[in-house]
Amino acid sequence: MLQLERVNVHYGATRVLWDVSMSVGAGEMVAVMGPNGSGKSTVLKAAMGLKKPSSGVVSLNGEELQAKPATVRPQRGMSIVLERRRLFPRMSVEENIMLGAYVRKAAEARETYDWVLEILPEIKPHLQATAGRLSGGQQQMVAIARGLMADPKILLMDEPFLGLSPAMVKTVLAIMKTINERGVAILFNEQNAKLSFAVSHRGYLLESGRVVLSGSGEEMLEHPEVKRVYLGVREAAA
Amino acid sequence: MSGTHLIETVINGLISGSIYALIGSGLALIYGTTRVLNFAHGELLMLAGYFILLFAVTLGWPLILAAAATIVLIMVLGALLQRVTIAPLMKREDWAFSVIAATIGLSIFLQSGAQLIWGEQYQGVPYFFHGVAVIGEVRMPWQRIAILVVALLVMGICGLILYRTKLGRIVRATAQDAEAALAVGIPAGRVHTIVFAISAGLAGTGAILLSPLITVNPWMGVSYLLKGFAVVILGGLGSFGGAVAAGFLLGLIESVSVAFVPSEWSNVIAFAFLIAVITARPEGLFAGRGA
Repeated sequence: MLQLERVNVHYGATRVLWDVSMSVGAGEMVAVMGPNGSGKSTVLKAAMGLKKPSSGVVSLNGEELQAKPATVRPQRGMSIVLERRRLFPRMSVEENIMLGAYVRKAAEARETYDWVLEILPEIKPHLQATAGRLSGGQQQMVAIARGLMADPKILLMDEPFLGLSPAMVKTVLAIMKTINERGVAILFNEQNAKLSFAVSHRGYLLESGRVVLSGSGEEMLEHPEVKRVYLGVREAAA
Repeated sequence: MSGTHLIETVINGLISGSIYALIGSGLALIYGTTRVLNFAHGELLMLAGYFILLFAVTLGWPLILAAAATIVLIMVLGALLQRVTIAPLMKREDWAFSVIAATIGLSIFLQSGAQLIWGEQYQGVPYFFHGVAVIGEVRMPWQRIAILVVALLVMGICGLILYRTKLGRIVRATAQDAEAALAVGIPAGRVHTIVFAISAGLAGTGAILLSPLITVNPWMGVSYLLKGFAVVILGGLGSFGGAVAAGFLLGLIESVSVAFVPSEWSNVIAFAFLIAVITARPEGLFAGRGA
């Protein structure tokens, strides 16, 4: 479905992604894990077209997208929930959600809107509220709802748990599973290894802009390097 | 000050304020949506002055037709200037200063171009509306009343577009977070062009309303640009509604000050008020209510 092949990204003269290759299959949940500044968000932005790769290929269902503007992605079934929600803060929750369906016809959008509110019933009481005044958790729900309004086949989620309470992290995780079970592939990034790989079918470990490890969620959790560096587990003395 | 004088002073303040509001709200719309300070905005007003002179006086077209042609032409020109000069610069990562420099250059270019084409002489446009409205002891030329009415109408239409239409929603979304707008498929670049066109249309409306009261000349936009920026700062950078309110406030301050001190002092008092506001409330009087 989504393929990144040898993608390089520069910010000015600084190279932040080094030949990054990864893929997400239909209906998969894939995690990109790595420390701060490893380039996780840049991977998602490059996939979404918000940051143009300096070289490499980004393709969705075989169609090369790297040279096309970001606005094409929602039309092709790709959508993103940006880091720190990035709602339109002075607009109502309903306006925010409906703008997620900007590329779609009104009748189709209305159907998806009902589906989205069924998955995220917590939003219903706040539809007329100003989005910027909601709590972080509520804003994340609205951001997810906005992302789903494009009726994506793949949803990118940039640090979906950032700044949320532990209870809200559980809620967002449950929502992600529900969305995924309904056939929407998810590519998300996260700093917490356990959180990343426990819920994902596959995962990638990114360090200094390079993919250093990849495998199934289970394999990633069991990998000695992941255990030692990211889970703080010491190997038993031989 | 007699009651009649007070009413006339307030109406005159609202009339001047409506022009400031038209110009300032256009600047605010651009800044709020694109974060660009457009130093060539005054020259769009100047060009619209020449267009109305050409259509209404030289060619003798009916007022409505001349005004419509002026607005359409200046909107196309505003969009074109954005596409050709500003949009390419905004693709760079450090565009903020280069765009300011480009709009200053554009301002000088348009002023010099106007000098070459139309010369340095000051040219008058006759009143579009004749006669004086008399209500009790208050007397006001219809031309000045028309300024207030038309300006309110145009800004009202802009407000309706911004807050009640799909176009308005995408403009506000782009203003609040251009990257998030892009992510949902809104073509932010095209929205920026539309905003420049609307803003030029507002300046053009100001020029049409002003041209019978002041003379049309290559430098007519300079002082109004300064007032426009004052209005944008007073209203809270980027706030359309704030700029409209601040425009009327500035007009009223000028008008009331003239009632007490010689008119040469009106600008001093207006800008002293601006400095006082910046000192006490740097974010402007109506900050946080942006487009």
